[in-house]
Amino acid sequence: MAALGLNLGYLLVQMFSFLVMFVVLRAWVYGPVLELLAARREKISKSLEDARKAEELRERTEADASKILAEARAERAKIVADATYQAEKRAADIIRGAEKEREDLLTAAKHEAESKVQGALEELRPQIAAIAIAAAGRIVQGALDDARQHALIDQFFSGVREGKVTILEGEALSGAAAVVTSAITLKDAEKEKIKQALSDKLGGSAKVSFRVDPAILGGIVIRVGDHEVNGSARQTLQQLQESLR
Amino acid sequence: MTASSNNRILGIKNRYLVLVLLIGWAVAYNIMPPVLVHIQLPPEELTHPVQLPILGKFAFTNTMAAMLLADLILLVLAFAFSRSARAALAAGARAISGVSGALEALMEALYGLTETNAGRWTREIFPWFATIMLVVLVNNWLELIPGVDSIGILHADEHGYPVQELAFGTTLVAGDAHHAAGGLFGLVPFVRVNSTDLNFTVALALIAVVMVQVFGIRALGVGYFKKFWNTSTLFTKPMFGVIDFGVGLLELVSEFSKILSFSFRLFGNVFAGSVLLFVIGFLVPSFAQTIFLMLEFGVGLIQAVVFGMLTMVFMSQAVVSHHGDEHADPEGAAAQH
Amino acid sequence: MEGNIYQMGQVIGAGLAMMGAIGAGAGIGIVVSGAVQAMGRNPDFAGTIQTNMILGIAFAESIAIYCLVVALLILFVGV
Repeated sequence: MAALGLNLGYLLVQMFSFLVMFVVLRAWVYGPVLELLAARREKISKSLEDARKAEELRERTEADASKILAEARAERAKIVADATYQAEKRAADIIRGAEKEREDLLTAAKHEAESKVQGALEELRPQIAAIAIAAAGRIVQGALDDARQHALIDQFFSGVREGKVTILEGEALSGAAAVVTSAITLKDAEKEKIKQALSDKLGGSAKVSFRVDPAILGGIVIRVGDHEVNGSARQTLQQLQESLR
Repeated sequence: MTASSNNRILGIKNRYLVLVLLIGWAVAYNIMPPVLVHIQLPPEELTHPVQLPILGKFAFTNTMAAMLLADLILLVLAFAFSRSARAALAAGARAISGVSGALEALMEALYGLTETNAGRWTREIFPWFATIMLVVLVNNWLELIPGVDSIGILHADEHGYPVQELAFGTTLVAGDAHHAAGGLFGLVPFVRVNSTDLNFTVALALIAVVMVQVFGIRALGVGYFKKFWNTSTLFTKPMFGVIDFGVGLLELVSEFSKILSFSFRLFGNVFAGSVLLFVIGFLVPSFAQTIFLMLEFGVGLIQAVVFGMLTMVFMSQAVVSHHGDEHADPEGAAAQH
Repeated sequence: MEGNIYQMGQVIGAGLAMMGAIGAGAGIGIVVSGAVQAMGRNPDFAGTIQTNMILGIAFAESIAIYCLVVALLILFVGV
């Protein structure tokens, strides 16, 4: 032991020194260090908690903001849809109005044109009669007087002889509406006669309308539904042409 | 400018300073070669020994001087730390700067290490761990101070060397012993590193091992001794009972071997280190010793950590019941995890 | 002359005692090898592994240190 330098006195001195150091360090270092560690841990956990709270607040604010944004967006979409609807409605109204106006104008123009045509045809009639009489007078050498001539021409154009519609005799007609086509515009008296004759055949409630078609040359064509009674000069000429062939 | 000023001492760039020192070292070696001082295990006595009644021979040794020096350093450190720690606490646990900050970081690391091992007993075990670590560390690092182990008083010694007068003292010189006029002298350094004294390491090891037993008894009561005298399974399980009993006896032996291994590990490392420094300084006088001083720095740190950590681990094991499933100590077992 | 023989015995004995460092050297090698492999596989735990490695090295080294102490005792204490 002595060779190793071990000595009870030295050993005790070293132990004493260590224990003194232990007490001193415990008082001056470990106590404050543990306090400091605890304080720091508390501080860290507190700041973590603060950070968590701030995060929560931020998240909540963000959610609010996004909600407000969504609402604004929905409102905007609604306003846009409304405006679009209104505009479309307006546009459709305008278009419809324009179309109606155009149609009105068109029908007015048609009417005017038709009445002009009617007028022209009516003016034409005496001339045709005069030409026809003149021509007939050449042929027949004045065998016919003037009144007789006029009656014949009227008869030719209206198909009405001595107050009767010749082509309707012996025809069985049925239907609700009849269309009468003539080569020139008929006089009102003739129209009345034809109407009466047709209503005799079809019944009082039958509707009768009149058309003018110069292509049939003379006489009248009466159409009731599918049935057609053709007493036109053109038809007669065609029949003549066929029989001469 | 700060970067360059950090690289300068006395206005000279560090590398040139190192070069000058190396050259000066080499020149000095040629003028006056170093000597291999007498190496002895027991500490040298600085005063005349007195005979005390029970303790026997007692003198003030140079390792005691190192002990006082280390204690002084620790006291200053602790005092400075306590002041800055109080100030930091008052300022709302702000960070501490300087050496106290480093000490605090070290304490925090040690506390964390203790916490992972000792659990519930951390607050009791930590002071022992930290004290052993700090005391051993400061004592080990005293070796790095210039003058320790090399400045001392000369005494007549027939195995010594001749002396030569210098401007500010006297030094040993290598030379022919027979032609020395004033006789031969040996050197007794004023301060010798405490860890090269077995008294210090044995004292520390005794305290550590005794405190391990104290912690065991505090945690488990009389049940702690069942670890050493295990007769619980001796009759219930004939074969294994005997083995368990033998293991218990081995545990007892291992407690004593702990004292030996603790003390000799620290002593051997530091003493071998200082012998290495002497021999290297004698063989390669210039530069080489610096490298070994760096090695000693690392060894001193590691040995301090190992001593403290082993104490802490033994204490942590002692507070946990050895046979947890047989005579349970749920709190201790929970503390282990 | 007998002093010289005594010294020779001391030196040879110290040298033989240091043969115990062989085991410690092998042990340190094994410790570092295992630690480096573990660090390579698990770089995240390099710090923990390094701490434990240094502790293991210190334990293995302490065997060599015991040998060194014995050698130094033989040389300087002179049993």
